[in-house]
This record gives sequence, C-alpha cells and structure tokens, in this order.
Amino acid sequence: MSIVEVQELRKQYDPPKGVLAVDGVSFDIAQGEIFSLLGPNGAGKSTTISMLSCLLHPSGGDALVDGHSVVTDSQAVKEAIGVVPQDIALYPDMSARENLVFWGKMYGLAGGELQTRVDEVLELITLVDRQKDRLEKFSGGMKRRVNIGVALLHKPRVLYLDEPTVGIDPQSRRSILDGILALRDQGMTILYTTHYMAEAQELSDRIGIVDHGAMIAVGTNDELVKIVGEEAHVDLRVDHYLDGMVERWAQVLGVTKAMIDEDHAVLLVQDANEVLPRLFEAAAAAGSRITEVNVTEPNLEMVFLHLTGRALRE
Amino acid sequence: MKRVWTLAGKDLLETRRDRLSLLFTLVMPLVFTAFFGLLFGGGSDRLPLAVWSGDTGPAATQLLGALERSDVVAVHRMTKADAEKAVDDGRQAAALEVPAGFSGDLAAGKPVTLTVVGVSGSTGVQAVQTEVSSLAGRQAVLERAAQAAAAAAGKPIGQPQTSVANLTAAALAMARPLAQQSLAHPVATLRVVQAGAAAGQVPTGFDLSSPGMLINFIMFSLLTAGIALIQERQNFTLLRLMTTQVHRWELIAGKVAGMFILTFVQQIILIAAGQFLFGVDYLRDPAALLLMMIATSLVASTLGLLLASLLKSEQALIATVVITSMAVSALSGAWFPLEITGPAFRFVGHLLPTAWILDGLRGIILRGFGVADVMPALVVALAWSAGLFVLAVWRFRLTD
Ligand SMILES: Nc1ncnc2c1ncn2[C@@H]1O[C@H](COP(=O)(O)OP(=O)(O)OP(=O)(O)O)[C@@H](O)[C@H]1O
Ligand SMILES: [Mg+2]
Repeated sequence: MSIVEVQELRKQYDPPKGVLAVDGVSFDIAQGEIFSLLGPNGAGKSTTISMLSCLLHPSGGDALVDGHSVVTDSQAVKEAIGVVPQDIALYPDMSARENLVFWGKMYGLAGGELQTRVDEVLELITLVDRQKDRLEKFSGGMKRRVNIGVALLHKPRVLYLDEPTVGIDPQSRRSILDGILALRDQGMTILYTTHYMAEAQELSDRIGIVDHGAMIAVGTNDELVKIVGEEAHVDLRVDHYLDGMVERWAQVLGVTKAMIDEDHAVLLVQDANEVLPRLFEAAAAAGSRITEVNVTEPNLEMVFLHLTGRALRE
Repeated sequence: MKRVWTLAGKDLLETRRDRLSLLFTLVMPLVFTAFFGLLFGGGSDRLPLAVWSGDTGPAATQLLGALERSDVVAVHRMTKADAEKAVDDGRQAAALEVPAGFSGDLAAGKPVTLTVVGVSGSTGVQAVQTEVSSLAGRQAVLERAAQAAAAAAGKPIGQPQTSVANLTAAALAMARPLAQQSLAHPVATLRVVQAGAAAGQVPTGFDLSSPGMLINFIMFSLLTAGIALIQERQNFTLLRLMTTQVHRWELIAGKVAGMFILTFVQQIILIAAGQFLFGVDYLRDPAALLLMMIATSLVASTLGLLLASLLKSEQALIATVVITSMAVSALSGAWFPLEITGPAFRFVGHLLPTAWILDGLRGIILRGFGVADVMPALVVALAWSAGLFVLAVWRFRLTD
C-alpha cells in the first residue's frame, strides 16, 4: 500500500518564463518505507517537498498523501505530515522547550498531552538537559535536532526531511541518521532528500535520483547500481597535462567513459584490474605520470555520472 | 482561534524578553512626558484670561491696561463668542466681560458690574476673580479721586486769588471721603457666571505632554513584534507555520492581536503613570477613555502590521517607525497643542487619526469629554485602521 503517490507533479516558478523546477515527477512511497530523493543542488528536491507539504501549488499533476490530494484537500494532508524544512525554521530567542510547546500548540496539541509529547520528543532528540536554553546558544547539530523534533510532536504518519544533515559535524549527523532509522522501525513513513550519496545509500529502502527537475531513475540501491553494470569508478591525478590525458584514456580498451572533474580525471571502466596497467602505459606514452589512483566499486555516484555525464557533487 | 492567542502570546513573550523595548515603550515616554510637561508648564505662570470689552472709554482702557500688566493673568482680547468658546474648551481659565458704558457709569458714580465667566470655585477662576476685583476696585478709587480733583479745580471758591496750594487742599478734602466711600462699597462688583461644566480646568504642562507622548511612543512598543515578523519571513518560520494546520487568517489575526495587546498594555501603564504620577485626570470618563485607547491600539497595530509586511529589514523598520512617529506626532499636536498653530496646519493634522485621538484624550482630561464627544475620533480611527488593515493583509507575505 502506498501512502504517498506522486503523479506527474510539475512546478514552474513565475510562469511562463520562470524556472521549470519540477518537470513531471512521479513516484510512490510505501507505508513504513524510507524513500530518498537524491540529487544535486537545484535539482528540485525542495520544490517537490514544498508541493507535497501544500506550501506550493503545483503547476500540474497531483499527489495523494495518506489518501488526500495536496491540491484539493490540503488541511487533511497537513494533519498527516510532519515537515522538517531545509532551513532551521525556529525561534532563536526562545528555549528548546518553548519552541516545542509553541509548535505543538500550532499542531493542535494542548494540556497534558502537549507536555507529555514535548517530554518524549526532548528525550528522542536527546536535549532533555538543555531544554531550558535558548536556541541561539545551541550548536548547529543541536538546532537541527530541534528542527526535526518539532515535526514529530503530533506523531505524523509521514515525515518529510529536507536535507536535515547539512552543515553539521559527523557525530551529530550520525545521531540524526540513527534517529531516522529508529523512526522508520517504529513504522513511520519517511521522505528524505539529500545530495549525499552515502546517506541515501545507507538510509533508504528506495531511492529516486533527480536532476533538473526530472526523476531519472528509481529503485532500491542494488537495482540502481545495476544500471551501471559492473563498471568500476577510477579517479586519477596526473602531474601535468590532464586535458590531453583524459582524451587519450577515453580511447583505452575497457574504458567506457572518461571525464574531468575539477583537478582530476574520472573514468568508468569494465574491469579495474585489467584496465589500470593500460592507463599507466597511456600516461607514460604521453610523457605524463599518474600521481594518485582511486578505485571505487559501482555506487549511486556512478549511477548519476552514468545517467547525466556529470558528477553528483558531495 | 486558540492558535491566534498562541501566536499573539509568542510575540508578547519575545517583547517582554527584549530589554530595549522596555526602554522605548515605557521609560522614554515617561521621561519625555516629564520634560515636555515642565517645559509647557514653566513657560507662563499667568492664567489665560479671555477679555472682551464693550466699552472704549478711559476707565475701561485703563483697567485693561492694568490687567495686561498683571502678574496673575495673561490677557487675550477676543470677541464674546470666541471668549466663551475658549473657556468652554478649557483653553482659557476664565473670561471677563467689561460691559458697554463701564467708563461712563463709573464716572457717574453708578454701580457697575464686571462679569467673569468660568467655573466658580475652580482654582483658576478664584485667582482671576481676586485679581480682577482688586484691579477694578483700584480703578474705581482712581476714578473717584480724579473726579474730586476735577470738581475742586472747577468750583468757584470764595477767595479770588486762590492759590494752587488751596486748590489742592480743597480737592484732597473732597476726594478723601469719596475714595473712602468707594473703598468701603466697591463700585465694580464681580459676577461669576457658570460656564459649561467642562470648563475651568487650568491645563498643566503634563495635561498636554502626557497624552502627546503616549501617541508619540505608541508605535515603539511594536518594534519587537514587527522585527519578529520580518525575521519570521526570513528564517522561514512563517512558511513552516503553514505546514501545520494553522490558517493564513489566523496568522494575520495573531499578529494584529499581539500588537493590539502590546500597545494596549503600554497605554494602561502610561495612562496610570499620567494619572498618578503627573496628576493628569484621564479617569474623568473611563468609558470615553477606553474608547480612545481602543482607537489608539487599533491604529497602531494595523499600521505596525502594514510596516512589518512592507519592510524587509530591521533597520528599515526601526527607521520608519522613528520617522513616522515623529512626523505624525508633530502634525497631530503631540508636541504642542494644535490650537496654537494656524488653520492650515490644523487641517493637515486632522487628516491623521492621531490628531483626533489627541483631541479626544485632551478633551477627556480638560473638558470632561464623554462617550458622545469622542465619537468623531473613534470613527476616524476605525476608518484608518480598516484601510491600514486591508493594505496590510494585501501585502502580507510568508517569505521575502
Ligand atoms: N521561489 C523560487 N522562485 C524561483 N525559482 C526558484 C524558487 N525556488 C527554487 N527555485 C529554482 O528552482 C530550482 C529547484 O530548486 P530547489 O530548491 O527545489 O532545488 P533543491 O534540489 O532543493 O536544491 P538544494 O539541494 O540546493 O536545496 C532551482 O533552479 C531554483 O533556482
Ligand atoms: Mg533544497
């Protein structure tokens, strides 16, 4: 059973000439699943979340959340969802607890139920001992946790998380990811967006890769990786003349794709063990020397590269 | 509906936490009330006395001259109608009528009556009364003495070579009993006529400065809430609120309610300080006062919402509030009463609701205005608030 059904969703800002931020995106999320939208900056992830949160009116298409249309039944949708925006949308001059109480009231909670939920959420985001401190005194990671906690107060059936780990230290990120997995295990359905390949890979039951407003692939991690077949990912650095080298490597037997990513070359190869010696030879023949080699087995990064010809920037 | 109060409550909490807002909202207005109050009050201790004279004779002229030199009253010559209105409006402590034929009657030794219009028993009228009787009495004595002297000079006296010394002695002999008689029975009697119940209050400086500064600083209490709204647009909290079940109208209503309560509480404190610290009698008609407070808060909160909806930065909001408050206050008569300005200035001032509200407030304090008297001010304020509110709702944005 799908709890979220997105059908040909489209959004053009400031029509007729504005950006086509989302261009006919469709996907389903099953009850209790973590679904990730993986894509680079400007892919249209936040725009999609905004439409699914009834903050933006779609230019076309529709989505059903918990059976309700985001276009015609926004109040019912809003009752079902919790939204964690990309920005920390909280009140810095109020304490963590005051923020939670305020937002809880906005979600329609009151009295003892409100206080109980605030206590539970504080426990969940491990900020019980800092609850009386004003948010402006918090670290980035702590603010992010409150940002998530707010969206959990009313026990939503579906939780949207828009890049909730941007700009925080690895430890905080770890605790947030663990928290999200725990929520999934309790049966919550989660729509997650990120441009971190590793996060999508670790968290998601299924992943949708988005680019320029379009969904270019959907599936489980394994399904997606199969798109690039058995190709390995080789990163190379040379001491000089990188441009010329990439052109030569592209001709090498077993290399399916070669391109430059800033200061290094990125190659897709059939079998790394076989191809690597040939790459060294080609470099030597051109009077260039390889200074660094990095071989990665197929992953989502490569899928993106394969499908778009561009790197998914971390 | 509950959400409206939660939203308003959040703004109140944030304002209460903001130390600077306390300074702007309460400390500064009280300091300025004291400052301007002392300034207005210290300018002239003389009671404003409206005078109209139906007589141009020498005695009347002399009496008016004496009044003009008086340390007790400050004479304002005007027509009878103006004088009565000025007393009714409380702009003059009392009015004095010098009747036609005053000089002639006095010369003829007939009794004359000067009429003082004012509230008998009020401090202003008592002082005026004392001063006028004393000056008029002196004038009467002078008149009698002069008559005696003239009579002595003109009388055919027995001795043909009369000397100047004899003449003087004769005049003095005749004048003395006359003067004595007139001192014993003052020729000019004073009649106090009751003016409208409202009149007679002598305005103190604080009567003018307290409501003036209330209007001047009313918008300052909205700075924190206004800045909060601008920040809520910038940090996406306003947008996020729309992912909860809150409605847009609740958001707007919450903002206006918060601003209304803030300005209302500010008014309660400033008015209490005016009443009990500065002796400004706001409580003469509590119902009328309440209406003026509601009018003030409505105008301030809708203007606050509009400014916070239009402006994109804290600095812009602060600058606009300061400049608007100063300009509006000056035009509305918060710093100096509009009565002392010309008709053009007064007209422009009364395009603003604040001028009407100030008229209402000062009317309550000085002229005993009731609910009916403050209705015009209430209507103007309601019209303005409605217009400002419509504009604000139209310009209300969730993000910049
Ligand atoms: N309010 C807006 N008005 C006009 N264009 C917009 C607006 N918001 C986003 N865009 C454009 O729409 C496109 C998609 O933006 P969106 O924020 O949805 O991307 P994203 O995938 O969330 O990117 P990021 O990873 O940077 O958050 C971008 O080209 C962006 O410039
Ligand atoms: Mg985004």
